[in-house]
Amino acid sequence: MEPSSQPQPAMGVAAGGSQVYPASAYPPAATVAPPAVASAGLQSVQPFPANPAHMSAQHQIVYQQAQQFHQQLQQQQQQQLQQFWVERMTEIEATADFRNHNLPLARIKKIMKADEDVRMISAEAPVVFAKACEIFILELTLRSWMHTEENKRRTLQKNDIAAAITRTDIYDFLVDIVPRDEMKDDGIGLPRPGLPPMGAPADAYPYYYMPQQQVPGPGMVYGAQQGHPVTYLWQDPQEQQEQAPEEQQSLHERD
Amino acid sequence: MPDSDNDSGGPSNAGGELSSPREQDRFLPIANVSRIMKKALPANAKISKDAKETVQECVSEFISFITGEASDKCQREKRKTINGDDLLWAMTTLGFEDYVEPLKHYLHKFREIEGERAAASAGASGSQQQQQQGELPRGAANAAGYAGYGAPGSGGMMMMMMGQPMYGGSQPQQQPPPPQPPQQQQQHQQHHMAIGGRGGFGQQGGGGGSSSSSGLGRQDRA
Repeated sequence: MEPSSQPQPAMGVAAGGSQVYPASAYPPAATVAPPAVASAGLQSVQPFPANPAHMSAQHQIVYQQAQQFHQQLQQQQQQQLQQFWVERMTEIEATADFRNHNLPLARIKKIMKADEDVRMISAEAPVVFAKACEIFILELTLRSWMHTEENKRRTLQKNDIAAAITRTDIYDFLVDIVPRDEMKDDGIGLPRPGLPPMGAPADAYPYYYMPQQQVPGPGMVYGAQQGHPVTYLWQDPQEQQEQAPEEQQSLHERD
Repeated sequence: MPDSDNDSGGPSNAGGELSSPREQDRFLPIANVSRIMKKALPANAKISKDAKETVQECVSEFISFITGEASDKCQREKRKTINGDDLLWAMTTLGFEDYVEPLKHYLHKFREIEGERAAASAGASGSQQQQQQGELPRGAANAAGYAGYGAPGSGGMMMMMMGQPMYGGSQPQQQPPPPQPPQQQQQHQQHHMAIGGRGGFGQQGGGGGSSSSSGLGRQDRA
């Protein structure tokens, strides 16, 4: 417990913490009106955007530590991405054999031809795509793995891919491929006492991504409209979640 | 079917409603995708099945997204053939600038090698078209296809409209011989997805038409 934290009693308990945060009546939470799980995820990060001057001394320390952790994590991930591109260039410059590809050219052509407007494809186009898709898979997997590591897991899961898609602008065209629930479930991935690590995502998984493509037009329109705002809404939780581990650790130490 | 892929053993969409073998053709083989994913991860990392399947779908969406933009450009310029430069231009337009520099090097080296091979095979064969469609899409089959670049293609070679000029790699602007009329029976689901992708924010069109396996079948039999 934190006796010295006068303005906020019962800080030690997670449930108590979640009860205290809504009292601040932070505007973003009101605009979201999400389910309880997502609401809890959002509320748990409200104090950080607030004005530091209005926080208690302890809150300021936690805030600064979280910011430092966040910056270090971002620098580390940025270095990983820079290293990624250096490796890609090195790998390509070392390429001497263009007859063996990691991906079948005929299948790539078939996917290209699925578009009615596509008529003729030069011989080099699938070759370029074979390398482009390899880079795409590598980058998407690397960005997804960053989320896996943040949640202290060793198995890359679908919600890690959803997190990478929401965090990366160039992946906007993929927002409809992962159900929105996968994005909301991000908060549950955090090591939080009282919440099952992966139980809720499994229960919340409403359908497979294949049937989603078969949803009638109105459903698709609805999904598309919701998908894009969700992308931006969840940008902040993603960033804040990167600070949460430090917060959890600090709170635990105080207990 | 000549296009059946050994890598796609078993359904790639666990629990999915679409179990037709032709539907698997809409994705790259999960074994290839999984192998590439592992290259990006530490040795002790594991990948869940649904993560592999999600990436499979993301890659197909990526191909359709880029192809749609490149196709639009070709139509505006009254050209019929999508070449490597069109794809690189589309990637730049759609935000994948980081990809273009490595791929330019890759395409340049490919054209160099193709130029050498084209010069060598020009005397060996007068064939103006080389078909990959008739070959098994595995890496080994592709290797055989390239190795036998001057050899005659499969029996169905002339029946397919996906003809590509042998010198397309070295001369991207060369116009191939007039092909058969293009197939109009395409997969509408992918078509709509591609249209949505061109919107720039990945929003799909309102049309949620069901996928047409028979369409794919006709394309294969053409």
